[in-house]
Amino acid sequence: MANIQTPKKADAKIPDASMSDIAFLLLLFFMVTTVFVQEKQFWVERDRWPVAESIERIPRNLTTTIYVMRDETILIDDLPTRIEEETDVLVYNTLLKKKEENPEVIVCFRTDRETKYGVMSDVMRQLQDANTLIVTFEAQTKRN
Amino acid sequence: MKIGRKRKGKAAIPTASMSDIAFLLIIFFMATTKFDVKEGIKIVLPQATKEQEESKTVNLTEKEMTRMQILPDGTVVINKEAPRRYDNSALDALIKAKLKENSQMIFKVITDRDAKYEYMIAVVDRLKAMKVEKISLSTN
Repeated sequence: MANIQTPKKADAKIPDASMSDIAFLLLLFFMVTTVFVQEKQFWVERDRWPVAESIERIPRNLTTTIYVMRDETILIDDLPTRIEEETDVLVYNTLLKKKEENPEVIVCFRTDRETKYGVMSDVMRQLQDANTLIVTFEAQTKRN
Repeated sequence: MKIGRKRKGKAAIPTASMSDIAFLLIIFFMATTKFDVKEGIKIVLPQATKEQEESKTVNLTEKEMTRMQILPDGTVVINKEAPRRYDNSALDALIKAKLKENSQMIFKVITDRDAKYEYMIAVVDRLKAMKVEKISLSTN
């Protein structure tokens, strides 16, 4: 008599032995590709910013920061400058370049709260000349 | 007498939960990562073109425009009123009243060159908080 074999059922298993390898690979990938933003020096520290309530959040990649210190020194792209004469146009020139790279550039002012407004006015005039018209004034939220 | 041989224990580290640990770590870092954003008051400056400078100056009445002049000591002159110091609620009430008069009111913030930057921010912050869209910044 012939021996009739019952067909074997195929194993339906997803191999999960390498799952941990995949997960660790992902973890390592993100660890390696993460870049922390580092500021060389806090030119105007956070507690020197003005206080405001109506604060908007702007993605950092769109912004370029101008630091204005109490002694009226202006810092753009890590280069210090002052606006005392008509020929002091570092801000204007830098912004023209930035505008060329990214027409949507937003200028972010990190100004000491006790700075005199005159210097801000001068910087903003150069901004207008360079046609970079969107600005933000960095501020800290009100602490109750 | 029967002497049993000592059985060697199996020396294996259980790795079944390794993926759980790895995913837990990934999720932890995903949840705690905060993308860096800038926080501040956003303003769009007017364009400074030659045509504009040459164009005629437009005279606006008090019904259309409110002048807010910030003096070096932090006091504010509203239109032609006497200078006084405003706190947040007083400024809010004033802006509200002006907006009630004319919802399209333009607020011109004129800051003295010697006034502190924070005085200007305080006024612009209140204007922004009251959803004023037409803010003009200038200096004298």
